[in-house]
Amino acid sequence: MIDLSVNFAGLKLKNPVILASGVWDLPYTKIIDFEKLGGVIYKSLSLMPREGNPPPRITEIPCGVINSIGLANKGIKIFNREVLPELKELGTEVFLNIFGESIEEFSKISSLIRDVSGIEVNISCPNVEKGGVYFGRDPETAYQVTKAVCENTDLPVIVKLTPAASDIVVVAEACQEAGACAITAVNTFPGLVIDIDSGKPLFERVVGGVSGPAIKPLALYKVYEVSSNVGIPVIGSGGIGNYEDVLEYFFAGAMAIQLGSVIFTNPLAPIEIIDNITKYAKEKGYSNLKEIRRCVDE
Amino acid sequence: MVTFRILPVIENRVLGPYTLLRIKDRNMHKEAKCGQFVMVGFPSFLDPFLLRPLSFLSIAEDSFSLLIKKKGRGTEKLSELSVGDELKILGPLGRYIIPPKSGILIAGGIGIAPLYYQSLWMSHGILFYGAKKKRDILFSKDFESRGFTVKTITEEGRGTVADLVRENLEILEGQQIFICGPDAMTKALKDIIGGYAKQAFVYMERRMGCGLGGCKSCAVKTDSGYKLVCQDGPVFPLKEVSYD
Repeated sequence: MIDLSVNFAGLKLKNPVILASGVWDLPYTKIIDFEKLGGVIYKSLSLMPREGNPPPRITEIPCGVINSIGLANKGIKIFNREVLPELKELGTEVFLNIFGESIEEFSKISSLIRDVSGIEVNISCPNVEKGGVYFGRDPETAYQVTKAVCENTDLPVIVKLTPAASDIVVVAEACQEAGACAITAVNTFPGLVIDIDSGKPLFERVVGGVSGPAIKPLALYKVYEVSSNVGIPVIGSGGIGNYEDVLEYFFAGAMAIQLGSVIFTNPLAPIEIIDNITKYAKEKGYSNLKEIRRCVDE
Repeated sequence: MVTFRILPVIENRVLGPYTLLRIKDRNMHKEAKCGQFVMVGFPSFLDPFLLRPLSFLSIAEDSFSLLIKKKGRGTEKLSELSVGDELKILGPLGRYIIPPKSGILIAGGIGIAPLYYQSLWMSHGILFYGAKKKRDILFSKDFESRGFTVKTITEEGRGTVADLVRENLEILEGQQIFICGPDAMTKALKDIIGGYAKQAFVYMERRMGCGLGGCKSCAVKTDSGYKLVCQDGPVFPLKEVSYD
């Protein structure tokens, strides 16, 4: 029996595979066995409902995808009433990704979160006018936001960082100092697609967030940078498509990983990856995740 | 039940300006209902990355067919597939509709695909069908043999399908109407058919990420805010869709 469980912030995840925020919703229960997952992070919630950006909101790029969704969501109050009861039945650790346009909004939304395993703070979305990546580029604001969240909840707080920060390590240190128990590295990379018929950007907001295998080496390096310099655990995210990618993230220092846009191209990837990590461990004679990650810890 | 499977192509046939792909599958006919669609992708994980949302053209006991219009990298690659090549198929997806026994179908170009599939669930009706060129008009005899009156128009000839409908407005009286075509066409039709829009439904297409309501990409503007093609559609009441 291979033990893939991961412990952090008083939580025990049955394995290190977490479904990232923004790529899934409840209809995915039709196709993925959520009980097998280490955890899931529900799409960004704000205090008030958000319509999101006008379409088009997504397009393919070579080996990946770029989106401009704009954090469309029902708001925390409707979520608590309508969605939370169903999430509690998923049989896996549920985290909520939260978003605010101001520090005050982050405080308010944090105080309304209940009955989940933890919070992931979004200071890294490139697709909004206020907050998002603008908070995550600046270590001082990242500190203020993280502190505001931590002061308004007893739940473990993870902060999801942007690769667009000029020094991601400094931002990560600020989050740690403010009370974060883990870092997610990284959110999408800001990018641009031009429609050559019109000569104009494809997205109304010009910038979009790039994800998928195209960004994997870029994101992997951010994980390496953060985990080599910051004391709290790092959850790796960015372009992971198979178990070999997951191993790279482990060896770069990640404690767990998130799967994002891969589920668009293969919704069964999360389960396949868990099965393949187990198979890999068996073949190598490892009995748990710590042994797999040995070369990092040594 | 929604499934994700790797399935083989068993036929690739040129059909006018399009390609008909037939995919071997003994389950889809048990699962899919009128109005639904599938996401289709290539086995390689890297590129092209996303699956493509495609309407059913028809479903048999041993296979289902899709009609492909070359529009970009993905559809071009799909058109070039050989018998035996494999595809990733996620579906059936979307909200199904219960089609009327008889009604009006209005198709523009490749918009004929889901309406052809819908017609297989109907006993008779009228098809208004517009395309760029005469060779683009498909299935006319097929529709007629199944009790449909077919009225066609081409842009190289007399005009657009909107013109055709304008000339025949009185036929719409008391009928359910189903429309599929480019946004510009459905927008023009909404204005032209006026009060009949109350009885009209439109098949929408948007750039899609997941097909399962996860990514919130395929947004359509409606009177009550954005809705998702994959989850709330693909068929929407025409009166609700906002073309501003």
